[in-house]
Amino acid sequence: MLRYIARRFLLMIPTLLIASALIFTVMELPPGDFFETFVSEMQAQGEKADMSRVEFLKKEYHLDKPPVERYFYWLADFAQGNYGYSFEYQLPVSDIIGDKLILTILISTLTIIFTWAIAFPIGIYSATHQYSWGDYGLTFLGLLGLAIPHFLMALVVMYFANVWFGLSIGGLMEPEYLNQPMSMAKFTSVLKHIWLPVVLIGITGTGGMIRAVRANLLDELDKQYVVTARAKGLPPGRALMKYPFRMSLNFFISDIGSVLPSVVSGAEIVAIVLSLPTTGPLLVRALQAQDMYLAGSFLMFLAILTVIGVLISDIALAMLDPRVRLQGGATK
Amino acid sequence: MKTGINRRILSFLMFAIVAFSHSRAVAQTALVEPPILAGLVKDGVLPPMSERLPLSPLVLHVAEMGREIGKSGGEIRMLMADQRDLRIMTLYGYTRLMRFNLKQELKPDILQDMIVEEGRKFTLVLRKGHRWSDGTPLTAEDFRYWWEDVANDKKLSPGGPPIAMLPDGEAPTFEILDSHRVRYTWPSPNPSFLPALAAAQPLYILMPAHYMRQFHQKHVNADALQRTVRAARVKDWTALHEQKARQYRAENPDLPTLDPWRNRTAPPAERFVFERNPYYHRVDETGQQLPYLDRIVINIATGALIPTKVGAGDSDLQARYLSFDNYTFLKIAEKRQDFTVKLWKRAEGSRIAIYPNLNASDPVWLSLVRDVRVRKAMSLSINRRDINNVIFYGLVKEGANTMLDGSPLYDPAFQTAHATYNPAEANRLLDEAGLTKRDIEGYRILPDGRRAEVSVEGAGDSADETDSIELIIDNFRAIGIRLLYRVSQRELFRRRILLGDTVLSLWAGWDNGLAGPDTEPEALVPSNRGQYQWPRFGQYAETSGAQGDKIDIPEVQELADLRVAWRKSVTREERMDIWRKMLKIHSDNAFIIGIVNSTPQPIIVSRRLRNVPDQGWFSFEPGAFLGIYHPETFWLTDAGKRN
Repeated sequence: MLRYIARRFLLMIPTLLIASALIFTVMELPPGDFFETFVSEMQAQGEKADMSRVEFLKKEYHLDKPPVERYFYWLADFAQGNYGYSFEYQLPVSDIIGDKLILTILISTLTIIFTWAIAFPIGIYSATHQYSWGDYGLTFLGLLGLAIPHFLMALVVMYFANVWFGLSIGGLMEPEYLNQPMSMAKFTSVLKHIWLPVVLIGITGTGGMIRAVRANLLDELDKQYVVTARAKGLPPGRALMKYPFRMSLNFFISDIGSVLPSVVSGAEIVAIVLSLPTTGPLLVRALQAQDMYLAGSFLMFLAILTVIGVLISDIALAMLDPRVRLQGGATK
Repeated sequence: MKTGINRRILSFLMFAIVAFSHSRAVAQTALVEPPILAGLVKDGVLPPMSERLPLSPLVLHVAEMGREIGKSGGEIRMLMADQRDLRIMTLYGYTRLMRFNLKQELKPDILQDMIVEEGRKFTLVLRKGHRWSDGTPLTAEDFRYWWEDVANDKKLSPGGPPIAMLPDGEAPTFEILDSHRVRYTWPSPNPSFLPALAAAQPLYILMPAHYMRQFHQKHVNADALQRTVRAARVKDWTALHEQKARQYRAENPDLPTLDPWRNRTAPPAERFVFERNPYYHRVDETGQQLPYLDRIVINIATGALIPTKVGAGDSDLQARYLSFDNYTFLKIAEKRQDFTVKLWKRAEGSRIAIYPNLNASDPVWLSLVRDVRVRKAMSLSINRRDINNVIFYGLVKEGANTMLDGSPLYDPAFQTAHATYNPAEANRLLDEAGLTKRDIEGYRILPDGRRAEVSVEGAGDSADETDSIELIIDNFRAIGIRLLYRVSQRELFRRRILLGDTVLSLWAGWDNGLAGPDTEPEALVPSNRGQYQWPRFGQYAETSGAQGDKIDIPEVQELADLRVAWRKSVTREERMDIWRKMLKIHSDNAFIIGIVNSTPQPIIVSRRLRNVPDQGWFSFEPGAFLGIYHPETFWLTDAGKRN
């Protein structure tokens, strides 16, 4: 097992190098650079760009060098913990992301808990009461959640929340708390606002999760060991939870790999619609503006988290399921 | 103590003098402390108003401007899309050394006086006792610091001083006459200098030296500076200096300013609070210090959602990020919310214009669009009345791309030149240009046998544009030219035009349709690669001949020569004459085919907010959007209650 983990760790290095090269290439592909985008955006609004410092910044951040050279500059800086500089914000990348990260993690964690708390009971109920009215009803709701794009739902909900209840649109707290340090009052204000994004983002995931839990559990429930357990007189709860349910969790564990990056990036589109101060809109905006160090460093973080997430789920899976662990001729 | 008394006596004397020289001067009424500052003055945190103001403040005669004399206090909210928009406050504040008024005349603002000799010797006279927002006096040293330690520092300004300071590449001699007078002398006239100071994005020729010095290698010891650099996590001291010195984009809350409101929030943030500058130099005729509004709060929201949020009542004053498309939605919201929607006018020479590319790479089309008859025919073929009625509800003006009726250079003849609907004349001109043969569908045939089929390219970011082009396609069909509309992403769009791949493109006309004789006429001559009618001539001018093509059209060369004449001009009359000639050349040649102008711009104003004009021009240059309409005189009816 230890050798397995060590090997996986070493494999991460080339994986990440390839990822970084890919990220950099994709960012280089669109024509022009941040400054060209910036100039044309300003022009589109009938303004002149603040050109006085463009040459200065270009030189400072090696934009006058060929791409390959820039790639190595970026990589070397990144490895040293210097994530570069955002042209758009004119601040170091770490300063910009830092603030938003906590709220993003908070929202994402709550969303995941919300998804699980709803999806598991419903999924188990649907599987054990297959083709009952309850199963149909809940499945219908789940599919509805899956089918409606959550940004659309967010727009509709926001509009009616404003027209009917006069609630302000978007945001994660009352405006007066925005620049203040965390306090009890601020925290309460956040709690008052946070349920809406959590529910909206969670609904899609919940729909999908219900289907997955139901399907995986159904697969197990038909197996002979379940019949045997029942026949032997195992109480129904134990006959469900101890074996078939545990077996059906494999899909869920292997999914952890993708959960980790999504915790950090948040749901981009919903966050934009709801004007949430999370990292999602930041990333989208950085990509649009070709703010390459901000976008690049952020994507690199996501790549790292994905790789770590996959490692964690592989290890967890091996620990949970001896069938996975003992494959390839290994013995206990 | 003694100096304090002297100062007071002196200020009394100065006010007496001002009172004598201007019959309506402020000194006749006592100065009125803004309520929010009264407490601070009482506690001794701030000096009283008489000491904060310059000896001769700038008096705005609010009543004569047709506005109400307001009450100090209160806060309004605005929405912006990102941190870069903080520059909006520098625009709305519109406080400059010199300032354009609504008649496009230059008047001193921060400066008490500006003495110009022979168009090349500029003596700038500061107001005595004028102070930065932190209370430090504004002196000649602040000008010297910028000129010697910033603009001429090899590291801070690798490209040297800004262009407006270098007519014909020559730098001025800078002299300090005394603590409040400085002089710039050039060997030849520099008419660009004053307009640059008054521009929406101004040329800053001063910096708060007392504050900036701590970030300058020359003024502090290297170790201490190195520590600050490391703490700020920037590369070196030049980056630090650059970051701290941003005046246009007011990001640094510690940077002293001369603007009416100063930023109190360090970025990154989702909400920026701007507070009144207690040392601001303008007062109203009753002796109240301006601005009336104590605070302006800018909340950051997603750009595309701003109209929705405005409709939900989240902004008290908003024009940016609203467009005419939103008008009906805002009108419905007006009934529910506490705001009114006003319609101002946009000041582009033309809201939508067709740019024939005089640097196109297709040789056949190139010779066609270079033929003035073809350009005129295109212009004559467009039914502008239809476009106005169908797309703009008949609210806009139809006309060529030229100066609007709010400009001192307005000429109705230029507006209508080749801009009336006359397909018969258009057809005649095209026949005359040699395109006589037609194919079976009625389209003309080009000299090389191809059908006269061409794509008109756009960036497609407004519905007005995409809707109008549909009508124009029909109009062009009637003169035997087949138009195909093609949308590309903005950078690709620019690039294709520069490479000559695009023959016709669609964009707004001149940004500034209200220019006066003092406006630098760069939009009218090849000056940069963003000019879609002659991108490569523009690139040639921009790179001093390193890239692009040399002008090879006599009329364009004539324009370029006139610009040179403008840059050597001394008097306003001379410049007026040059501008008129240039506009005439443009009108005769239809280099840019304008369609409609004066399109409406919705601006929503809280019912509590007074003094916002019902009519106005909304444009970056001139006017700094709202800036020229004196937002410092806007006031809240419930200002007293809130404080």
